[in-house]
Amino acid sequence: MTPEELFQAKKAAKKAARRNKEEEEGKLNITSLMDIVSIIVVYLLKSYGADPVVIMPTAGQKIPMSKADSPIQDGIPVYISKRAITFNSKKVVQIDENGDIDPASLQNHLIGPLYDAMAEEADKAKQMATNQGKEEWSGRIILVGDQTLKFSTLVDVMYTAGRAEFREYAFCVIQNQ
Amino acid sequence: MAKRKKKMDEGDVEANLIPVMNVMFLLIPALLLAMEVARFAAVNVTPPKFAAQADQKKEKEDKEKPLNLKVFIMEDGYRVSAQGQQQGAEAGKSADSNKPTIPLAKPGAPLDDYERYNVQALEAEAAKYKKLFPHETVVTISAENSIPMQALINTMDALRGSDCKLLKAMAGEEVPPECYFWQAIVEAGAG
Repeated sequence: MTPEELFQAKKAAKKAARRNKEEEEGKLNITSLMDIVSIIVVYLLKSYGADPVVIMPTAGQKIPMSKADSPIQDGIPVYISKRAITFNSKKVVQIDENGDIDPASLQNHLIGPLYDAMAEEADKAKQMATNQGKEEWSGRIILVGDQTLKFSTLVDVMYTAGRAEFREYAFCVIQNQ
Repeated sequence: MAKRKKKMDEGDVEANLIPVMNVMFLLIPALLLAMEVARFAAVNVTPPKFAAQADQKKEKEDKEKPLNLKVFIMEDGYRVSAQGQQQGAEAGKSADSNKPTIPLAKPGAPLDDYERYNVQALEAEAAKYKKLFPHETVVTISAENSIPMQALINTMDALRGSDCKLLKAMAGEEVPPECYFWQAIVEAGAG
């Protein structure tokens, strides 16, 4: 082997070694990524699993603040914002700028469209309770109101819920401690 | 081809982004945890029908005259009555006037100013009644039509007691003595 060939061989070997080294550096270490993803998954699972009911306030809705510490028990939420009453993800009644329920939907404290939706839901829940072998259906409703919600509107919603055979009420609040 | 080779040689020094990625991904849960998450709670309300039954039971059990505490939230303050007698009213008269028993803490403040009511005075009244009727837990709350929900919740907080913690009681433990009237009945047109 001539010195020139020896030089070329050494050069090629060095190049190959460098190439190999570069290939090793290019490997992505997935272990750390997996750790983080696991942490996020556990965190999210824990936060979602803590509450039996997921409260999703509507846009612009300000939930009242309270010192109460009782956890939210299982129930069906009714969202009463400044503009509408939402039940089962459907806007059932409009509320005017004065905070009053649309007079066309209201008759002697009974909110017609809300009553229809609630009664339908109550029938479904009762049927489900019977199928599950439960003796009694709790009929719990969670009123997710707005800070500015007028007392008259709140009473109308409670009266309508009572007529639809919901017997337990809870106000959803944000803990301010 | 020669040009490409040259480029590869120049790009030999590459920044190792893996530690940066590690830090970035650690920041995600750290920020999520640091984020102020709204903690929801519930204020349980008893409808009037069941409250009446509860009162009857209590009456039978304790054989004492029920307190029948009622708080009416008005635009100009609280009107408090117990045992069918409005506080400050003449004896024998169920309601003396439309004047509030506890006037506003901030007279003239708008309805959406939720500190306008004197909740401290109301809480002191609740503590006074609780001393006289230690077994009573029920209060009937009503309000004028225009009263906002936040004012109602603040009233319920004051009547329950600002140091009242019902979390353990809900798990079966005894209700702490700092809880005054924690079973609220919300009804229309009372007072």
